Amino acid sequence: MEIRRNKRPKTGVETKFSLPKFKKYFLKNGSEIYTVKKTDLPIIKITFIINSGSKFDPKNKNGVSNLTGMCIDEGSGKYNALQLADEFDFLGAQFSIQSDSDITVLSLQVLTENFDAAFELLSFVILLPHFNENDFQREKRKVQTRIEQLKDAPDYIANSAFEYFLFGKAHPYAFPVIGISESIKEIEISNLKNFYKGFFKSRNTSIVAVGNFDDNKLLKKVENVFENWDNGEKISTQNLNGNKNKQKIYVVNKQDSVQTEIRLGHNSSKRDELDYFQKHILNLILGGQFSSRLNLNLREKHGYTYGIRSQFNYYKDDAYFSVSTSVSTENTAAAVNEILTELNKIRDGITDEELTFAKSSISRRFPLNFETYSQIASNIASKIIHNLPDDYFQKYLTNILNIKIEEVNSAAFKSIIPESALVVLCGDEKKINEQLSSLNLGDVVSVDYEQIYSE
Amino acid sequence: MKLLDIKSEKYTLKNGMEVILYNNNSFPLVAVNIWYKVGSAQEEKGKTGLAHLFEHMMFQGSENVPKEMHFKFIQEAGGTLNGSTSFDRTNYFEKLPSNELELALWLESDRMGFLLNSLDQEKLENQKSVVYNERLERYDNQPYGLAWELLISNLYNEGHPYSWATIGYLNDIKNYELDDVKNFFKKYYSSNNASLVVAGDFEAGKVKELISKYFESITANSEVKNISIKNEQLKSSKKIIHEDSVQLERIYLAWHSVKAFEKDDAELDILSDILAGSKNSRLHKKLVHELEIAQDIYAMQFSGKYAGHFMIVATAKPKKSLDEINKVINDELDLIINEGISSKELKKSKNGIKSGFIFSLQNLDSLADHLNLYNFYFGRPNSFMFDLERYNAVNEIDVMQVAAKYLKANCVDLRIVPKGKNGN
Repeated sequence: MEIRRNKRPKTGVETKFSLPKFKKYFLKNGSEIYTVKKTDLPIIKITFIINSGSKFDPKNKNGVSNLTGMCIDEGSGKYNALQLADEFDFLGAQFSIQSDSDITVLSLQVLTENFDAAFELLSFVILLPHFNENDFQREKRKVQTRIEQLKDAPDYIANSAFEYFLFGKAHPYAFPVIGISESIKEIEISNLKNFYKGFFKSRNTSIVAVGNFDDNKLLKKVENVFENWDNGEKISTQNLNGNKNKQKIYVVNKQDSVQTEIRLGHNSSKRDELDYFQKHILNLILGGQFSSRLNLNLREKHGYTYGIRSQFNYYKDDAYFSVSTSVSTENTAAAVNEILTELNKIRDGITDEELTFAKSSISRRFPLNFETYSQIASNIASKIIHNLPDDYFQKYLTNILNIKIEEVNSAAFKSIIPESALVVLCGDEKKINEQLSSLNLGDVVSVDYEQIYSE
Repeated sequence: MKLLDIKSEKYTLKNGMEVILYNNNSFPLVAVNIWYKVGSAQEEKGKTGLAHLFEHMMFQGSENVPKEMHFKFIQEAGGTLNGSTSFDRTNYFEKLPSNELELALWLESDRMGFLLNSLDQEKLENQKSVVYNERLERYDNQPYGLAWELLISNLYNEGHPYSWATIGYLNDIKNYELDDVKNFFKKYYSSNNASLVVAGDFEAGKVKELISKYFESITANSEVKNISIKNEQLKSSKKIIHEDSVQLERIYLAWHSVKAFEKDDAELDILSDILAGSKNSRLHKKLVHELEIAQDIYAMQFSGKYAGHFMIVATAKPKKSLDEINKVINDELDLIINEGISSKELKKSKNGIKSGFIFSLQNLDSLADHLNLYNFYFGRPNSFMFDLERYNAVNEIDVMQVAAKYLKANCVDLRIVPKGKNGN
């Protein structure tokens, strides 16, 4: 076979990818359920998505949603906490409960042969949590300790400080999902019980199931097990978008840090607004992957960092744009400067070549997002969370491929606003402040990392 | 189990490169995975971290691939890619739409055969700086980030190839010369020191032809000699206290154990699961759930080609003592050694391991990497079933015996404590 090494080999004939098809049903109790048939392995993945994230935490009791998620499997149905965990483990099942700002997700991955038994356990967790005082106190102490531990992690401090200063303390997304020390103290078991009663309802829940099963049988099973679940109503969402910031720098002091964690960004339009695809392409070029402008500049050209990325962060009811990286302390100001330069530069527009690259990368990557059971389930989950249309995935490629350069450029102009960027720098304050005067970026506020939430 | 019978074909090119093919056309993806049999164990004193730095240099372009284009070509094709370095090996992998197999073979062969001429001082200095920052971000600036380095440097004897961390010491990272990098390449990045896996959707009739097209003309270097290792036991137990900017004290206990896939390796894996692998595991139940003196607990059998160790790690709750935790751990080990484990505990572990094997088949990357792993150790890529059988064969007495054999010996007791707390 002749070989010409100096040329990229030609792409082969087009591959055939058939998008996994999901079906959507409503159960009698009001839950919606999405099913996908996947038969290559004897696995079932089932996910319960409950509209009950930390944005619903009662005032001054941040952390209730997360603690509720931690406590519902500390004894449920006929089992105590340890017995229940043992039952799942004995079935070789992977079961987890995760809370974030918008939702609580209960997720079960199990071999098909053990599905029925594991599903029964899952139903205990959702329908019959004990909420014993002892278990609650233990989990609460665990959370308090975890909050202390997180103060050691500069990346966590930077992220949570950034969100707190960006949203402002009255905003439902201002506080970390886990809560803060002061708010955890205020939480009592009655708060969890009330939260559970208010949000763990069939109409407030969506289910996604992926695996080798017969839809009718599965539906009947879910229907039977959850027949008497309190219906409630779907909790509606709030419209929160609209905060505008002025450029401001917060230096969060963490003495002896050898690096500075940098977060830089501002509010942005929500996920369901019309320029999502344009912003997706824009971000890919700016800082969404290895060959992005930001990474090529700060990592591959200057060597300031191990990596840098930008993203549009979409919560259900609000969104923001941010750039995140970690740089050696002496390069803090230089790095911030290069980031701002790149943000300003992209407002002048992208090139045709960049657009072609981005479209190709996103569209040809599309099949890879549906390889595993978990990937399929999580794609459908994100469709549910953001209220995307049922034909979202069918139209995805067309939506990406139809985008014109002017649309991306106009999104860049509208959505990247360096002059209103909030900057959070977490590191050695003294060494950072020495460098900041050169930047001329507006007010600098110094806070100790222990004191963020008293600001 | 039929599911775990991953039928692959293996052959060797004239230049010594091993090729492993696993064909599965159910999804239009193909994974390419190369192992070079070199890791940080092959490094010399003063040049630690070179194997990992080299992994970075492999993404800096080669004779026919300009800098930055390696990533760009793969990403433009919709693929994903990365590499990783361990004590024993360095791997490079990409997963792409199946019509881009040739692209991956072209890129991998170009950097295997034609890297040196494109290496220069500028690229080296840039990546030294990136790796320097990687070390700061992932080790020096992480809470407890230096524990691993402290642990292995105290556990393994001076000069033992597992006695330094893969990332390398900061001073060594600063001081690599271009010649170090070039010589490292010449010595280890040779076709006869590599194995290539192609897994997933490809045309069975065409793939071999493509592989020979790109790799056959690469000439082999001289044979890489196996390193000789002296595994010394600890003459006495060591206690090390290290201050770090952390809030909570943490204890690391480590004992010498066995190499990967050696007798007792699977037994020790199961022991680690019974001790700390689940909520109702023995140490989790005692330390975290009942006594609440630890925030978390973790145990593992770490095993590589040349050595292995068993470790238990626990973080103390505020104001709780590591001595007390240490005592509970040792009491529990004694209990296992004296009274054994229940058949239910054993069955639970085995069930989890079996499910884990099947869950792992979902991802083509992980499957391809396993084919290379099994080939590295046994010369037989299709060893999934063999591997699972190692665990199935373990009985209650075995677990009791490995606990007695390895965890009563001398150990390293490393404690990371908040600043100013030394001497507790």
